[in-house]
Amino acid sequence: MNATRLIRPAAPLLVVLPALVFLPVLLSLPGQIHGGGWDLIGQFAWAALTPSLDPLVLQSLLNGLAVTIGMALLGWALSLVLGLGLGLVSSRLLWRTLTGTALPADLIRRLLALPRSIHELIWGLLLLQLIGQRPAVAVVAIALPYGALVARVLSDLLDALPTANLAGLRAAGAPAPAALLTALGPPLLPGVVSYGGYRLECALRSATLLGVFGLGGLGNELLLTLQSLEFHELWSGLWLLLAVMLSLETVIGILRRRWSMPGRFGLAGERSGGGSVGRRGREILLTLTLLLPTLVVVARALAVDPSTLLHWQPLPPLAPQGWATALALPWPRLVADTLVLTLLAAGLAVGGAPLLLLLVAPWPWGRRLLQLLWALGRLWPPPLTALLLLFVLQPGVVAAALALGFHNLGILGRLLLEGSEAAGPEVEQGLLCGGSGPRLALLYGRFSGLARSYLAYGAYRADVILRETVVVGLVAGSGLGSQLRESLSAFAWDQLALLLAVYALLTLVGEDLSDRGRQRLLGTA
Amino acid sequence: MPGPQPDPHRPVTGPPPVLELQEVQIPGRGQPRLDGVSLRLEAGERVALLGPSGAGKSTLLAVANGLLAPRSGAVLWEGQPRARSASKRRRQQARIGTLWQDLRLIEELSVQQNLNAARLAHWGWPRALLNLLLPLESEACAAVLQQLDLDPALLNQPVTALSGGQRQRVALARLLRQEPTLLLADEPLASLDPRLATDLLDLLLRQAQAPRALLLSLHRPDLLGGFDRAIGLRRGHLVFDQPVQAISTTDLQDLYSSHDKGAGGISG
Repeated sequence: MNATRLIRPAAPLLVVLPALVFLPVLLSLPGQIHGGGWDLIGQFAWAALTPSLDPLVLQSLLNGLAVTIGMALLGWALSLVLGLGLGLVSSRLLWRTLTGTALPADLIRRLLALPRSIHELIWGLLLLQLIGQRPAVAVVAIALPYGALVARVLSDLLDALPTANLAGLRAAGAPAPAALLTALGPPLLPGVVSYGGYRLECALRSATLLGVFGLGGLGNELLLTLQSLEFHELWSGLWLLLAVMLSLETVIGILRRRWSMPGRFGLAGERSGGGSVGRRGREILLTLTLLLPTLVVVARALAVDPSTLLHWQPLPPLAPQGWATALALPWPRLVADTLVLTLLAAGLAVGGAPLLLLLVAPWPWGRRLLQLLWALGRLWPPPLTALLLLFVLQPGVVAAALALGFHNLGILGRLLLEGSEAAGPEVEQGLLCGGSGPRLALLYGRFSGLARSYLAYGAYRADVILRETVVVGLVAGSGLGSQLRESLSAFAWDQLALLLAVYALLTLVGEDLSDRGRQRLLGTA
Repeated sequence: MPGPQPDPHRPVTGPPPVLELQEVQIPGRGQPRLDGVSLRLEAGERVALLGPSGAGKSTLLAVANGLLAPRSGAVLWEGQPRARSASKRRRQQARIGTLWQDLRLIEELSVQQNLNAARLAHWGWPRALLNLLLPLESEACAAVLQQLDLDPALLNQPVTALSGGQRQRVALARLLRQEPTLLLADEPLASLDPRLATDLLDLLLRQAQAPRALLLSLHRPDLLGGFDRAIGLRRGHLVFDQPVQAISTTDLQDLYSSHDKGAGGISG
């Protein structure tokens, strides 16, 4: 045992270590506060309890909500179709079995990195400039990056499956396609359906976010009510959205358990139980057949017309000397801001969830309160939080990090709580019986076992946060996002191209780092 | 719930019993899990809890370590009822040590960190956090390991690296590190081979000197030798409570027999 071994922080400590970023953030807050809008914040908080019940307001909010749900559903379905197809053609295993070489798979994977690395909001804004305000824009904006993400997850799942069955079938003379379907279909299904359900939750959040930036639906209503300080109406919309989101999460959770699919927490590991195979298959098939007509009805109701996507508007001419101006942008500062923003927001989210759980551990109602807070965090599009924070904070990295951190805290907190409830109470109970306090019992008893999988998920989340920096950057004025906004409104396509290239490069490097971190956390048990 | 009654038969002087149950009632589905159970554990006493599966042994131990509050009746630890304030309650719990059947070691931590986890009742946050970073109180930890014939070099090992017998002893070492007065053990020998079982039992009995007391649930009446008293439980009722020497084979046959002898039974 050497010295480094002796001072290595133990598992439960690792979980709360990211919360150290709270220190610089809290210390810098006094300098950031401009005190102007505290009464507005007060009004906003009060309005949560007194939402507007005006039938006209509710009607318009419900319409917006329906559009948002419709966009989410269509974008999600399209992304699944895209993702399944692309996932199959980017699987090394498939190419090797069918043609003998895995090269095309690697090539397609590289190509798919580009749509994946660009946030759905940027896709939305770009398409908005190219095609104009059409219902199909939001659907495609969601489907493109999501499809590429699903493709990656699917091909990773496929390539990680044990191939003994496949080899067995092939050796017995089964033709390649039939052997692939028989050997890999059933073990693949739980992972794909579980991930698909998770993507639907994400799609609802994305559709709301796209609405905030003018692509239709409830998000737009939320933004307008916030900007006109109609907080009572804002909260009516938020509570409605909350109800929809929680019901969706509940239904997906119930189906996941009923079909014994792996939870989101153990990204690796966790085998699904047997026993329900026949019923599960029938029910999944039934769900799919019900989904198809629903999608058609929704597409008609939203007047989504794929042909509009082909009518491109002419681009405004480029300014002379454009490339020189583009290269002269303050790149190091933009990139550094983006990275700092990512680290702060990731620290706040990853460390904040266990910290808050520890804080409320002695009180039974504390957990319920946190669940509500986290649900609101998931539901709130980060740019709206940023706008709200700007009532009292200076625009900049701290405001942006708080907004982004709060949103992701909602997602991570829910997962941590689910994981800690699934972990079983025995060890924690043992510590409590020995007289340890409820907080320390939670830290030692539950967080120890969760540490690795939680941090591995945190690494994945940090990668998502890096992608999302652009979203709050657009509003809170920091990092690449703020520059993107200026370049978009100036129609400076050269700057835009360079910005997107830098952004894509950053997210790809981030993705690689987060993958390595995750593998290290999950690999060495 | 009626308050605890002072026992008229108890001598006026001397310390209160380490554990006292008075007419404890725990409801269950159909029949109660514990029905009017009273017992006393004086300092230095080593008591075995016998009974067939489902007799209520685990329930009784859960009442004794404060996990379950009885619907009626009273539980007194060193003469005191369950404390009301959280901090007093923690101090009370710290004096009750439980050796769990599933051990409840924290798999992700080292042996030393596990042993120190027993001190969390007395430690504040700084030390509790430091324990996750540095080896704390190594001498005290090494001392309890030596008491149980374990090599102090194990301190830096992760508990996952230990053998089954070592894990049992580390769990017992953690119990000693807690410095409890009441030692409770729920079928600690169930999963051990005969030699390990007698070794562990010897260690446990050796630790139960006054002011400590031991209550241990046992599924093997052949191991009663080192105990002072045995308590028989059947269907939530106390069937006997007498010195080990006074227990006859008929008592044991009745206790484990398959036919129902009816509620109440013989009282010791």
